[in-house]
Amino acid sequence: MPDNESFQTKHLAEQFTSLEQQRETSELGMWVFLATEVLFFGSLFLALTVYRTMYKDIFTEAARHLNVVIGTANTAILLTSSLTMVMAIQAIKDGKIKQTFNYLIGTAFLGFCFLGLKAVEYREDFAEHLFPGQHFLLGPQAKLFFFLYFFMTALHALHLFVGICVVSVMAYRSKKGNFSKDYFNPIEVTGLYWHFVDIVWVFLFPLLYLAGRNS
Amino acid sequence: MKRTYILVYLSLIILLGLTTASAYLHLGVFNGVLNIIIAVIKAALIITFFMHVRFARKPTLIFVFAGFVWLSLLVGITMSDYLTRGVILIYGK
Repeated sequence: MPDNESFQTKHLAEQFTSLEQQRETSELGMWVFLATEVLFFGSLFLALTVYRTMYKDIFTEAARHLNVVIGTANTAILLTSSLTMVMAIQAIKDGKIKQTFNYLIGTAFLGFCFLGLKAVEYREDFAEHLFPGQHFLLGPQAKLFFFLYFFMTALHALHLFVGICVVSVMAYRSKKGNFSKDYFNPIEVTGLYWHFVDIVWVFLFPLLYLAGRNS
Repeated sequence: MKRTYILVYLSLIILLGLTTASAYLHLGVFNGVLNIIIAVIKAALIITFFMHVRFARKPTLIFVFAGFVWLSLLVGITMSDYLTRGVILIYGK
């Protein structure tokens, strides 16, 4: 950590005594936020689990209407985006700013790919009248499944969209030279959020898409 | 470091393949169980390696665990109700 004063005053907020403390605090702060997010998504996962145990057959039957190919591809895309995100952080730690920028843009791009495929899938779902609205064709309990499906995936997509915006800002800021190997705190914290959104999908995918595939 | 990340990534992709493939086998209850186990392993890999939790300090670790502890309470207590309805005999009912 360079000791020169201009570096400190540029990056150190006044409530902190050192850059190290600032770094640890922001990391802790992000984890506090993520803990609330765990419970936020957790309650929805719980609702899904409760209704699945109550209406097991209808829920597995309903799950078969989802497009498992797009679901699997999207999971792979998100896992890859997590790799590029962590590579961006490694690159800035090594002081390679150009590489950091490229990895961040790659991450945002993969995020867009996910949303694009999700949009294609939603279009398919709407065409098959799976949206729990006026033209829904299956029974009331299947409606419950699709309500949860649309709500959870849309909420996840919203989180991902926010992630893409933040990652893009980080890419822009790294291009402007805001970060160096001694100061990359915002990218690191953005990474935590990005990986969390990835983890939510890691659970959404098997619970929504994979149930009832074998029958 | 980069090597570790790529190895973690490859294991994540392999696990994804396993979870999708296993969904087409007839394993009864274990389809669901296997899916959850694989998802937990994937999440653990992401949290430990990608989110750098293995280098995290104690206060951060407390919050990492707090989220999941409360989640398991939420799920555990609620499911202990729903799964045992009709199992336990209540006199007078």
